[in-house]
Amino acid sequence: MKTRPLFAAAATAGLIFSLAACGSEEDPDAGNGDAAPAADAADLDLVTEGTLTVCSDVPYVPFEDFDDTAPSGFSGFDIDIVSAVADGLGVDLVVKDSAFDGLQSGLSLNAGECDMAASAMTITEDRAQNLAFSDGYYDSLQSLLVPTDSDIASIGDLSGKRVAVQQGTTGESYATENATDAELVSFPSDAEMFQAILAGQVDAILQDLPANVPHTADEAFTIVEEYDTEETYGLAMKKGNDALVDAVNEQLAELRDSGDYDELYAKYFSEDAADSDDAESTS
Amino acid sequence: MTRSARTRLTTLTLYAVFAAIVVAFVLVADWPAIKSNFFLTEGFTGNWRDMVFVGVKNTILYTIVAFVGGFVLAVVLVLMKLAPIAPFRWLATAYIEFFRGLPALVVILFMALGVPIAFGWRPPGGTVGAGLLALMLVAGAYMAETLRAGIEAVPKGQTEAARSLGINAPWTMASIVMPQALRIVIPPLTNELVILLKDTSLLFVVGLAANQKELTTLARDFMASGPSAGTATSLMFAALLYLAITLPLTRLVAWMESKQKRSR
Repeated sequence: MKTRPLFAAAATAGLIFSLAACGSEEDPDAGNGDAAPAADAADLDLVTEGTLTVCSDVPYVPFEDFDDTAPSGFSGFDIDIVSAVADGLGVDLVVKDSAFDGLQSGLSLNAGECDMAASAMTITEDRAQNLAFSDGYYDSLQSLLVPTDSDIASIGDLSGKRVAVQQGTTGESYATENATDAELVSFPSDAEMFQAILAGQVDAILQDLPANVPHTADEAFTIVEEYDTEETYGLAMKKGNDALVDAVNEQLAELRDSGDYDELYAKYFSEDAADSDDAESTS
Repeated sequence: MTRSARTRLTTLTLYAVFAAIVVAFVLVADWPAIKSNFFLTEGFTGNWRDMVFVGVKNTILYTIVAFVGGFVLAVVLVLMKLAPIAPFRWLATAYIEFFRGLPALVVILFMALGVPIAFGWRPPGGTVGAGLLALMLVAGAYMAETLRAGIEAVPKGQTEAARSLGINAPWTMASIVMPQALRIVIPPLTNELVILLKDTSLLFVVGLAANQKELTTLARDFMASGPSAGTATSLMFAALLYLAITLPLTRLVAWMESKQKRSR
């Protein structure tokens, strides 16, 4: 029976081949620069027609969180922004929870998994080589979180301390440059970092300010310093899909003009946003 | 058409189909996209040095520590499981069922982050020590079952003969049954070693300092920064390095086995 393995190999190869063929739909020519503004969603080259598919690494409070009551199943500043954008474009919104690695490297977008990554992502030169960013929609600060009873008062006190940073983020780069004597411990996300500081495995967390703020709610932890790195979050899209980038920028501008942006901003980042968030979640 | 001619025709057709599929595969794939997403090698030299001298080194070190620790634990567990005293057997069975039933990632998270919060005790060696302890606990449970299968595969006559020669029970186990059992379970133990090697990539979840990073963590780093940022080049490189470790290892074990078979 010499042919048996050959049959098996041919069958397997055939299967793989057909799968590959499914995945490689030819892109309709994207990015004809003079796309009709917003109205014509067909020109936007969306992975699913009529739907804006947004990938986000959830949870990252207050930018994205799970929310059974929301139509998309998610809530947060990013989610509200993209749902306003989707409304403006006249398309439906679908949000997919994805790993940040795939988002910031552009793989999820290139693989056609989503049209847009909205995940509190800072616009950087490195990332802009592989992603098309919208205009900035949020200016972020970095911050240093420590236990309230800690004797760390500033970044200068971090020498020899274990400092948690999120892998592949601008917070990690900032710490690498500015806390040179500290032992930087990298984690996949805010969730593990907070557990680690609770467990006493690290002495401090250096990351985006809005992600640190909720951890100060019960006063066991406090933010001792904020750093202005002139960072801005952007919505990321597949490189070359200029029609979508233009349309999204137009929507963002409209949000700012109409005052809706300020309303959203106040909802999540007003002085007592952290407290009111708590009140909401317990109600 | 004779029978042999028909067979040959079938074989030829299948070869042709196979070749056509391979060719089609090559033609359909988007090579420039593949190159820019997975093989952006310009300026990658600084990264590969880190990946080999930090990543591979730590991956191998973690694997060895977890394997040796897990093996010692497995021997203790299997002796308990085969013990004449019932509570020992219950304890070993409960342990094995428990740790075999949990994902390694959960055990790692619990050891490094849960245990200190719950009991105020931090496993030695920081997060990496805790992570390795977790891998040992999990590997021990798997290897205990493997060892038991090996011990039970040793013919009962071996024990009976040893006992009738006046060798006591512990020494029979240690010098006669165990060595034969180990020889039987070399393939599944190799399997466990390879699984552990890959499971060290789960340590990323508990936080690693720069000099503690293993291969996958570094690959993820270089997906975010440096010359290959924004591509999966570093992941491809990590994949090749994993294969460079596991393939020679498994070949070596296969060779040892065949040599052993011949010598018997």
